[in-house]
Amino acid sequence: MARSQAAPPDDPALRERFEREVLPLLPNLYSAALRMTRNPADAEDLVQETYLRAYRGFSGFEEGTNLRAWMYRILTNTFINSYRKKQREPVTVQEDDLDEWYLYDKLGESGVEPSAEAEVIRSMPDEDVQRALEALPEGFRLAVLLADVEGFSYKEIAEILGIPIGTVMSRLHRGRRALEKALWERVRERGLVSD
Amino acid sequence: MCPIDCRQVLTQIELYLDGELDVSLHAEVHEHIGTCGNCADRSEFQRRLKAMLRAKCGCDEVPADLLQRVHALLQEAPPTPL
Repeated sequence: MARSQAAPPDDPALRERFEREVLPLLPNLYSAALRMTRNPADAEDLVQETYLRAYRGFSGFEEGTNLRAWMYRILTNTFINSYRKKQREPVTVQEDDLDEWYLYDKLGESGVEPSAEAEVIRSMPDEDVQRALEALPEGFRLAVLLADVEGFSYKEIAEILGIPIGTVMSRLHRGRRALEKALWERVRERGLVSD
Repeated sequence: MCPIDCRQVLTQIELYLDGELDVSLHAEVHEHIGTCGNCADRSEFQRRLKAMLRAKCGCDEVPADLLQRVHALLQEAPPTPL
């Protein structure tokens, strides 16, 4: 992690490198910020603040190390420190004894053939899937977001969130089950399967 | 060495699809899925679910004013350190 007190890059080459390598990450960072904050105004502020911090700390960023993970770590820390406080949500999670193959089995039970199961999910509106992910408790949400949407490895997620790999795996596993349950509820609400 | 069975494979699918299994176990799971319809269906479902999540949750359009705000940030004189 770069030193937050570091001076911003007044070196033109450094500034040019920032524009070339960090600016293209903006669309992904914005999507992640939306899933974190759950509203566009906060997501915009969060991304702007992230870029400001990254820009100021860029001279301390070690070339050759993982720039994407570095940016997501700044995003996540900024979110946790500045935005989470504004949101009301229970910190603890209701332990849910969900089956390992919850969604697959539920779809199967309602008569959907295995070959058509993925099609049911694909037919869901983007907004439904986004709301389902956003409704997950924060710890689960960040793990699933970083793994499944952003494609980070367990090791990278552990570094971004500052938690052990075992905790990443557990949050990911439980988060995915909780997401499957939420998706199943949306599938039923939409009448995409017959009961 | 006994080949792994369906129960063992299904507990590893998540790590398998995440690319987090070591090379030999990955190869075993891969081989099993190639010959077992049930495990193949479940694995394929989870794979598509991951892909769908990425496609539907990671492609929001960036508002024009955010692009402007970030670009403006970089054009300004060096900001005051935090």
